[in-house]
Amino acid sequence: MLKVENLVTRFGSVVALDDVSMTAQESKITTVIGANGAGKSTLLRTISGLEHPAAGSITWKGQSILGKRPEEIVRLGIAHVPEGHAVISELSVEENISMGSLFRRKKYKSDVTAAMDEMYALFPRLKERRKQLAGTLSGGERQMLAISRALVSRPQLLLLDEPSLGLAPLVVEQIIDSVNTLCRTTGLSVLLVEQNANTALGVADHGVLLALGKVVADRPASELKADATLRAAYLGY
Amino acid sequence: MNTFLAALSSGTSRGAIFALVALGLVIVWRGAGIVNFAQMGQAMFSTYIASTLITNGNSYWIAFFVALISGAALGALLDILVMRPLSNKKQSELLSSESMRAAVPVIASLGILGVLQALAGIIWAAEERGFPAPAKQEGFTVAGNVLPFTSFDLFVVSIVTVTLIITTLFFTKTGIGLAMRATALNQEVAKLSGIRTNRTRTISWAISGAASSLAGLLITPTSNLSPNTLDLVLIVGFTAAVVGGLDSPAGAVLGGFILGMVISFVTFYSTPEDVFLAILAVLLLVLIIRPRGILGSKDARRV
Repeated sequence: MLKVENLVTRFGSVVALDDVSMTAQESKITTVIGANGAGKSTLLRTISGLEHPAAGSITWKGQSILGKRPEEIVRLGIAHVPEGHAVISELSVEENISMGSLFRRKKYKSDVTAAMDEMYALFPRLKERRKQLAGTLSGGERQMLAISRALVSRPQLLLLDEPSLGLAPLVVEQIIDSVNTLCRTTGLSVLLVEQNANTALGVADHGVLLALGKVVADRPASELKADATLRAAYLGY
Repeated sequence: MNTFLAALSSGTSRGAIFALVALGLVIVWRGAGIVNFAQMGQAMFSTYIASTLITNGNSYWIAFFVALISGAALGALLDILVMRPLSNKKQSELLSSESMRAAVPVIASLGILGVLQALAGIIWAAEERGFPAPAKQEGFTVAGNVLPFTSFDLFVVSIVTVTLIITTLFFTKTGIGLAMRATALNQEVAKLSGIRTNRTRTISWAISGAASSLAGLLITPTSNLSPNTLDLVLIVGFTAAVVGGLDSPAGAVLGGFILGMVISFVTFYSTPEDVFLAILAVLLLVLIIRPRGILGSKDARRV
């Protein structure tokens, strides 16, 4: 569904992605794991158009999306939840969510309300707080809001960057569960970036291990999880 | 007592105009991160267009609306032709530091101001001309006493109030308004949400252009029109925006009225020569006590 080939992304003289090839399969959870600085976030940011690659190709449903702007890529059905609970603190919960559906308002007017309601059903705590400013939410709620903001655009592929960052294990579990359920019931494809490899591999179908910008392993999640050598060498546990 | 009332009424109507100028500056600052020094040059240009239309026999109201529309169009055009290419990533990467990159569009806006003033001088000649008011500039008479508040003051205050209400509703109740606020607050999240930030930025420039053209139309009946009469208005409007908080629309309005009152009371109770001293005093006071401005938010960038 999403195919990345020989992708190279540089920041000045630093090579963040070095000849990365991988795919995200339809209706599956693919996880990208690796240590801090492995290039995981850069991979997602390059796919969603926030960073411009120096070489390589990104193909989405058979078409190249290379060089497209982020605001166009989300229209094609790829929604990105960047690292760090990316919400706009100064806007209300409701405004944050509806922001993600603004571009659909003309064409799919009735579905926009339905999509908002689905988000509130998925994360009822957001509904209770919908008039509050996003800045007043807890870390977990903010992550839920960031995911809702992305999902309300009705993507086919969700790029999820480190949802567990700074959250209590229980909250992480709840968020990962929601995403997992969504993938299994609605056929949403997920590309999940995680530093917490155990959590990610537990839920994913497929795993890609990155180290210093290179793909070290690309295998079914269960295999990766069982490989003690890889784990010890790259993940440190 | 009469002096007090006169100062109060003149302060209100001037304050309303400064509020408009400050609001225009704040909208572009929030939407594009630029202090637009060309703003009153744009206003001057569209006021000249209105003046030309009136001289050629058109009604005031036709000229009025054409000026607002051309103000908006000129704002949008400047963004598309000058500011957008300047913010082009490849271009800006040539400059090493963040502060240098931030300075480029501001310097460009000064350049635009110069070009607009020179063009106006060439097209309409540099000498001052009058500009009509749509309402009488004589005070209302109540029980034989002439009040210091004129029909034109009333017109200014009401039209600015209506504009402020419409602007507020636009920003808080419409989808484009939400898109513009999102773009101003966090461009990356806005883009990822599918908001075409280039477009919302251009709309910021257009709205700001229309607002400042309105200010131009409202101030020139008292100040007259020449290529640089509005420079002073920009300085006061900018001070008002800084006093109120450069990133706060409500602060801009508050700052506008504060400056209007200060200028007016100093003019009436002291001499007009002291006005600049008073403006400077207010600015310094606010910058010392509350550098982000009265209603400015904590993390606003300092300029």
